[in-house]
Amino acid sequence: MKRLVLLLLTALLALTACTGSDGKRSKPQPSELQGNPGTGKYMGSGLIPPQPRPSFTLTDTSGQPFAFGSQTSGHPTFLYFGYTNCPDECPASLADIATATRLVSPAIAAQTYVVFVTTDLKHDTGSVIKTWLHNFHFGRGVTVVGLRGTQAQIDAAQAASHIPLAEDGGETHSTSSLLYGRDDYARVLFLRSNDEDKAMTHDLKIIGSAE
Amino acid sequence: MRIPWPGVAAGLAVAALGTTGLVRGSMPQSSGTAAGPSSANPIVVTGAFVRPPLPPSKNAAVYFTVYNTTGKPDRLQAVTAAIGTDAVLHTSGMAADPNGVVIPAKGHLSLSVGHGHVMIEGVTARLRAGEQVNIELDFENAGPVDVTAPVVPLGSPTPSGAPS
Repeated sequence: MKRLVLLLLTALLALTACTGSDGKRSKPQPSELQGNPGTGKYMGSGLIPPQPRPSFTLTDTSGQPFAFGSQTSGHPTFLYFGYTNCPDECPASLADIATATRLVSPAIAAQTYVVFVTTDLKHDTGSVIKTWLHNFHFGRGVTVVGLRGTQAQIDAAQAASHIPLAEDGGETHSTSSLLYGRDDYARVLFLRSNDEDKAMTHDLKIIGSAE
Repeated sequence: MRIPWPGVAAGLAVAALGTTGLVRGSMPQSSGTAAGPSSANPIVVTGAFVRPPLPPSKNAAVYFTVYNTTGKPDRLQAVTAAIGTDAVLHTSGMAADPNGVVIPAKGHLSLSVGHGHVMIEGVTARLRAGEQVNIELDFENAGPVDVTAPVVPLGSPTPSGAPS
């Protein structure tokens, strides 16, 4: 029960708008969720129990179906839900993910997927998402995927990822970046903070090296 | 589900910062037109900078800390920016604050990444690093306050004194 409460708390903290809203500066700390063996080595927020890589199928920026569960299986994968007109949180988190993928070894970078799912169905067309993702300088060999879908599909994808559903036309959305490992479980997520890039780099090194 | 942004209930922080919090940085500063009872500059803005839009988005975000040095609360009731079609103060989620935000006597409002910003919409000009953007903050008591914010692209370090 205690574990469930902790997880719920994480989820609550995670639903901030693109501007964020928890004034407590919930900066991820090492071993933030104390007493959970196995999370102490991560700088991000530990997920207990680990969350399995979700299965959902959306549409990529070239209009092709993308089955997240099977097509990213076995790869270190960042998953982020946001929208391109977001002036604040989304660019910051994507830039931090990009930094992490540049700072890990080329071998890990070449294995890594970064998947951005839009919560703004009205404005974010495939070409808008594609152009916007080009603003970020990801590491060499990283596979960057931008996804969109119907409201029902996006909602289902968020639910499958244990992310609170976005509101206000997608503008109020989770600011969590999930990181799935090669074993297809997420053991850590990242909440927006000034040290997010360091935490992501640190944890991607571990997760990208683990079998 | 949204957690209320604590907004301007941060007057204590000013006490903690002491006068050093009010030291003007290298950022261009300005003050209101009406002199407050306790200071020549009733409103002091520090650490301002602007993140340019990421194409194809046309939204820029401005961050700063604004201090109310007077002994009376003042309301930031409007923001304007010539470089965009509209400017909106976002302090709680993405919701605009229709009536503005009250800054307590001797209090401050700090807008930093993840904790509020002024969003400038419809920016069509390309903003380059080192350029300056002017915005105007309109206060109920202090009147208009001009703020000059340097353009700091994503990934570049924020200016010293910028809110974090």
